[in-house]
Amino acid sequence: MSPEAARRGLAVAAMAALWARPAAAPAARTEVYALVGARIVTVSGPTLDNATLVMRDGVIEAVGAGVPVPPDARTIRADGLVLTPGLIDGFSGTGLPAPASRGPGAGGATAAPPSSPLAPQAMALDKVRVADALKARDAGITTVLVIPREGVLPGQSVILNLSGDKAEAMALKQPAALHLHMSTLARQYPGSLMGTVAYARQSLDDAIHYRDEWAAYERAPAGKKRPRYDAALAAWQDVLAGREMLVVTAFRENDVRRALAIADEFRIKVAVAGAPQAFRLADLIKARKVPLLVGVNFDPPRPARAFGGVLGDEEKERRDIEDAERNPSELHKAGVSFALVSAYAPNFLAGVRKAIERGLPREAALRAVTLGAAEALGIADRTGSLEPGKIADVVAWAGDPLTKDAKAKMVFVDGQLYEPEEPAPSPSPKAEGGGQ
Amino acid sequence: MTGPVLVAIVGGTILTVGPQGTIEKGAVLIRDGKIAAVGRDLLVPAGATVIDATGRYVMPGIIDCHSHTAIEESVNECSDSVTAEVRITDVIDHRDVNLYRELAGGVTTLNVLHGSCNTIGGQNAVIKLRWGKPPEELLFKDAPRGIKFALGENPKRSNFRAPGPPRYPATRMGVEAVLRESFQEAQAYKREWEEYEKKVKSLGSRGDKPIAPRKSLRLEELKDILDGKVYVHAHCYRADEILMLIRIAEEFSFKIRTFQHVLEGYKVASEIARHGAGASTFSDWWAYKMEAYDAIPYNAAIMAAHGVKVSMNSDSDELARRLYWEAAKAVKYGGVSEVEALKMVTLNPAWQLGIEQRVGSIEVGKDADIAIFSAHPFAPDARVEQTLVDGVVYFDRAKDVAARTAPATKAGGSP
Repeated sequence: MSPEAARRGLAVAAMAALWARPAAAPAARTEVYALVGARIVTVSGPTLDNATLVMRDGVIEAVGAGVPVPPDARTIRADGLVLTPGLIDGFSGTGLPAPASRGPGAGGATAAPPSSPLAPQAMALDKVRVADALKARDAGITTVLVIPREGVLPGQSVILNLSGDKAEAMALKQPAALHLHMSTLARQYPGSLMGTVAYARQSLDDAIHYRDEWAAYERAPAGKKRPRYDAALAAWQDVLAGREMLVVTAFRENDVRRALAIADEFRIKVAVAGAPQAFRLADLIKARKVPLLVGVNFDPPRPARAFGGVLGDEEKERRDIEDAERNPSELHKAGVSFALVSAYAPNFLAGVRKAIERGLPREAALRAVTLGAAEALGIADRTGSLEPGKIADVVAWAGDPLTKDAKAKMVFVDGQLYEPEEPAPSPSPKAEGGGQ
Repeated sequence: MTGPVLVAIVGGTILTVGPQGTIEKGAVLIRDGKIAAVGRDLLVPAGATVIDATGRYVMPGIIDCHSHTAIEESVNECSDSVTAEVRITDVIDHRDVNLYRELAGGVTTLNVLHGSCNTIGGQNAVIKLRWGKPPEELLFKDAPRGIKFALGENPKRSNFRAPGPPRYPATRMGVEAVLRESFQEAQAYKREWEEYEKKVKSLGSRGDKPIAPRKSLRLEELKDILDGKVYVHAHCYRADEILMLIRIAEEFSFKIRTFQHVLEGYKVASEIARHGAGASTFSDWWAYKMEAYDAIPYNAAIMAAHGVKVSMNSDSDELARRLYWEAAKAVKYGGVSEVEALKMVTLNPAWQLGIEQRVGSIEVGKDADIAIFSAHPFAPDARVEQTLVDGVVYFDRAKDVAARTAPATKAGGSP
């Protein structure tokens, strides 16, 4: 079996494990809900007043005014509440332990063991702490893409739907994407931005060579030396074949161009995350239809500058932060579709509200954290809006969603009801990559 | 349909730095970014934009053969002493305001180099100062490829303290060994590919194609150096290491295109000339480290007298704005003629970058990269009034001064 086939076999096994979930506790719960009397913001269609939403077996069955309540449904009056799709944080550290380098205050005994900064084969899924991840639901977040923040090639992300008691059971897409952070390493190659680009280019060249080597061996193994298995190069294969996206984390304006140059050279699918100055390239992004995951981590929008940068340029730092804050509204004005993502901001929704304060219309912001995010991540066929047939990821809000006073009263993930405690726990500013 | 874009610079003293010499009250006609005519009594075509240069001096745009301007983040990939695979073209920061400031010094082309941390550093980018254009539009199209080498204290990390064990090489003999090992490896790599290509050819359409060898971007570049496809720009100071690099290059049958800094070049000027290399130096920087103690300001003049094509470079965003004065110092120290001194910031660096057919002098057919000075560029009070790249005015002092006094707009000044 080729390494690629082996890898796909593992993926299938993981899926099988997912399906083979024993019909234990979760299945015993009420599986049919009808939320009645709410204002329903479907996102994909019109907003409906005094309407009903029916969920069955984890899937939305019906949405509309005057939809009959099925006799087997548990009916919940939702008068005065606003229903929206569950919020999606499409680029986050949700459920990941704090990195060891953050010091005793943040990391301490729970710090993650250092992992290779150049490990495309690493799976974020293996690092998720379920209890930590589930806390994100308090803020109405039902779906997250998880990838470690550290490293240049931090591995492959997972998209989790936040219901279940095991990370595997929560996986909505595994692996979700391969990731390249346009950052650098200390005292190790690549130690410069140009080194990082060169490293990515060489990795892809090596992955092509690896593919060809194995393909030739598979065609006629007799008389040939067996190629060597390489987990890192095997990890690139789905990206090369166009089955998986390469998500490039852009810290600088031109990182977007760098990502597109890599996409063009190797004819692979690329998405861009972070991108605090993406609005400057709005036309290019629009023309190229780049899936764009715009960060709301405004402070600071980029890592500390390395040797060669202008140190102590506070004016520039301030302008960069201003740029990042108006980035979403400028992109919206330019007609670019995008997701808003936490990009490791400790408080995702505070960042989203900041973008709204800086001119992004609230409806556009809501779309960017629901359907827009689902589109960018390639999961809009299953979640991101309130439509029959989609996963029952639904939030019932007291107050207007994405305002400071909004509270998630009920959060349905895969049609499973979760009720955040009253009062909602205040987010800890120290929590690395917390979901809120 | 739009007609050709015509520009006429009229009335000035034209320092062509080419066969036409100096032309008083001359004119330069530009058509679609190229110089269409140079001389006296030229007819200005209808529809041309006229730039009145009366009382001013018009010279070819200045070329800086050693720059680190517009590099985003680190200029060095310091993690290894051989990093031929990294490319400055990947990290051009087109918003670096130094590009504009250098236009204000009459500069139109830069050789943007990797730093000198490594024995064999990264690939260079030759760019034009088309301020406001995205990175890919700054590149000097069809300029020969180039790479940075470095010898002496920087690659052996003499003056830098970093945590951890010292990086190899830590001595000058280590630098030489790294060069030799690298090119031996490149030779082996080249043979491996040649054998593969021979095998593919002999098989024709028959049978199983052999698998290509692994493509190493680092060794590809070294192989191309061996094949003479890449210009080597070597940072160096001491005479002994200059001779060492000439020996290595001749052992492996490739050429050094320029010695950079080359402060002891005057001691081995004949050897540099015999190898066919150019020299890109400072006018009078010296003693900023041990290997720079034997510098003399006559270096440029002495090397030029021995037949070396010499340029004055900046290695600095700040000095790059006054390279015309650096050239003037060659007149003061060593009695270089005015035109030879002008060549040190125009035609000679153009040759060093292999773009002398395109830029470096005001000649018909060349790119209209032109600096217009208020006085002779060697005069102490000379300043740049306008700088054109491809016939387009990218710096205009009058407009700049007006903008400085205009009320500040809310948006930033960068394009």
